[in-house]
Amino acid sequence: MIRFQATYFDGQTSKAQAVVVGYDGQHLSLHSADGNIQLRYFLKECVITPASGHAPRIIKLPDNQQFESGDLNAVAALEVEAGGNRGMRAVHWLESHWKPVAGCLAGAMLCVWAFIVHAIPFLAEKAADAIPPEITRTVSHKTLSVLDKRFFEPSELSAEKKTDIQNLFQTIADALQVDFQYQLAFRRSPQIGPNAFALPAGIIVITDEIVELAANERELASILAHEIAHVEKRHGLRSMLQHAGVFFVVSVLAGDITSITSTAGTLPTILVESGYSRRFETEADEFAGRFLIGQGWGTQPLQDMLQRLAASHPDFPSLTWLSSHPDIQQRIENLRKLEHSHIP
Amino acid sequence: MATETLHLPTQSLPVASDQKMAVSSRANAPQSGNIHPFEFTGSAGEYFRIWMVNLFLTIVTGGIYAAWAKVRTRRYLYTHTRLDGQAFEYTAKPTAILKGNLIVGAGVVLYFLIDLYWPTYNLITILALYLVMPLLIYKSLRFNTRYSSFRNIRFQFMGSLKESYKTYLGLPLLIPLTLGIIIPYWAYRRKKYFFDNMAFGVSGATFKGAAGHFYKIYGLILILAVSLVFLYMIGFGLLISQLQGTMKSMDGFGTSIVYAIMIGYFLVLLVITFMQQYLYVRENNYCWNETNLGELRFQSSLKVGKLLVIRLTNLLAIVVSLGLLIPWAKIRRTRYILENLNIITSSSLDEFTAAIEPDESALGEVAADFFDFEVGL
Repeated sequence: MIRFQATYFDGQTSKAQAVVVGYDGQHLSLHSADGNIQLRYFLKECVITPASGHAPRIIKLPDNQQFESGDLNAVAALEVEAGGNRGMRAVHWLESHWKPVAGCLAGAMLCVWAFIVHAIPFLAEKAADAIPPEITRTVSHKTLSVLDKRFFEPSELSAEKKTDIQNLFQTIADALQVDFQYQLAFRRSPQIGPNAFALPAGIIVITDEIVELAANERELASILAHEIAHVEKRHGLRSMLQHAGVFFVVSVLAGDITSITSTAGTLPTILVESGYSRRFETEADEFAGRFLIGQGWGTQPLQDMLQRLAASHPDFPSLTWLSSHPDIQQRIENLRKLEHSHIP
Repeated sequence: MATETLHLPTQSLPVASDQKMAVSSRANAPQSGNIHPFEFTGSAGEYFRIWMVNLFLTIVTGGIYAAWAKVRTRRYLYTHTRLDGQAFEYTAKPTAILKGNLIVGAGVVLYFLIDLYWPTYNLITILALYLVMPLLIYKSLRFNTRYSSFRNIRFQFMGSLKESYKTYLGLPLLIPLTLGIIIPYWAYRRKKYFFDNMAFGVSGATFKGAAGHFYKIYGLILILAVSLVFLYMIGFGLLISQLQGTMKSMDGFGTSIVYAIMIGYFLVLLVITFMQQYLYVRENNYCWNETNLGELRFQSSLKVGKLLVIRLTNLLAIVVSLGLLIPWAKIRRTRYILENLNIITSSSLDEFTAAIEPDESALGEVAADFFDFEVGL
């Protein structure tokens, strides 16, 4: 026998009436002190709405009637008698204890971590393969024209020098048996300085400054091989898609705050993405390293080139945790290891 | 949209800050009546646990649980809101919300596909969104009121779809033509659409507010914004000339500029937050204070300064805690807003009558269920 105090509402008017509720093992009965309310229903005809925090519980009766009770223990006992509602009872149990909640926090963090580290790169790779070449081409040309407007001036290299580099590039491409239709673009950029970029459709931009920085043909070849790797492995498209994925995750998680503090949302995005591009740089270095070893040159040309690039950007190492290029010394170390692993 | 952050029935039914207005209307009323304050009994700890479980289950189920999460969140906020000893109730079914989420999800996927493959048709999708927006707003208002109840009597939204199109499609089109002069009028119409069409059982609410008051609110904001931008520019100019005078090395100059820009950014954030809170408080207080439900009146007495302090400290707490204090912040703001809302009535709250449900047939129920969905706006 369960007995408790409750407030009854008939569903026709907003009138609140005090009642005593009793449960005899089968029926739920309601009685008011003045005797105006005398109700009796099978418990299975009634719906016990799920608990929420420490709020009074509401039980729905047939014909739109209901009652509300602050006697949480009694209603919980009644709920056990009635059975059912298992899912929401489990959820309420989770919500009522700190330990499972801590578990949820850890679980949620683990899921987000796994999604960012594994799922996004995987999905981005699959999606990059599905994107038709025409779209890649349009996007690449648009990007180049934007870059041209903002950073680049026409190259001032001599026609001879350009032909030499074209020929060098052709040799590398033939040696690597590449799939793409490549196009070399020569640009001058005092703003950016020595650098090289690869656009997804196979356009490789090299600045006059990097050509001048390279001490010999092998060093230049190491840079070109590195850029070819970015194209062959579709790093450009993949990083665009990964960016979209991270943006999605961050906006879902920070949904409540992004509108007011968009900076709070950008910081994790930058951190995650520098991690992604570090992975791509390492991959491209490895690809270029293997090519250089295959030519019998060893990885020294790329190591020297990286050293020189670092020297030409003095602020480079201090920015590594935010920069797209991993620590130069780390990259050089990786190249040394790669070479050692190839020496019999 | 009309109901910005919280979705409580109470908030969905807003009252205004203008103390003078409240005093004068009270003086004009035939009887002063009894004041019943809203009470909010939610706790940050409890809400945090619900929020965390929601987050976890939503992630694990790939977003499906989001609909259940929404119902649990709202039920928590509603049932811990009390008036004259009784709690509000949120009775929506998660499946209806799931349907709304799926519709929105499909729309977003469609938008991205079109954007990627047929970028030229981009404008058409945006246009389509504008065309369905009034329908979605209308649906959501109906949904959220219909599934809100108090003392076992449902709230209702009586506004028409036609009115929604006039308010959310027609008027915005006139904004550029009138050079923005009708923006306050538009705000007035949006509030009116909501407050004038609310009903509790058979008792419909009436909104006596006037567009003129919105011109006052927006006018003040405009003056404030213009003078702040002006002051800001003067300050920045002074700072730069100062720096140019003192800084010898270019490097030092560069760092100072970075600091100046950062400080400027925070000031802008502060000003924007202030304007948002100002607008919210003025509109909210005014609308509630000008709304009647039969002989029952509302009284909202939010203060801009207090809400601003709450907002800023909430933001700080959220950023410092990496988001973990979001639930605490929400409970705190909700408590302040609700505890400054009262109802004034000379009769008891026992005398409201439920509306007769239009169609009790099984077919009617099924159809109503099918067309019921909630879209988060």
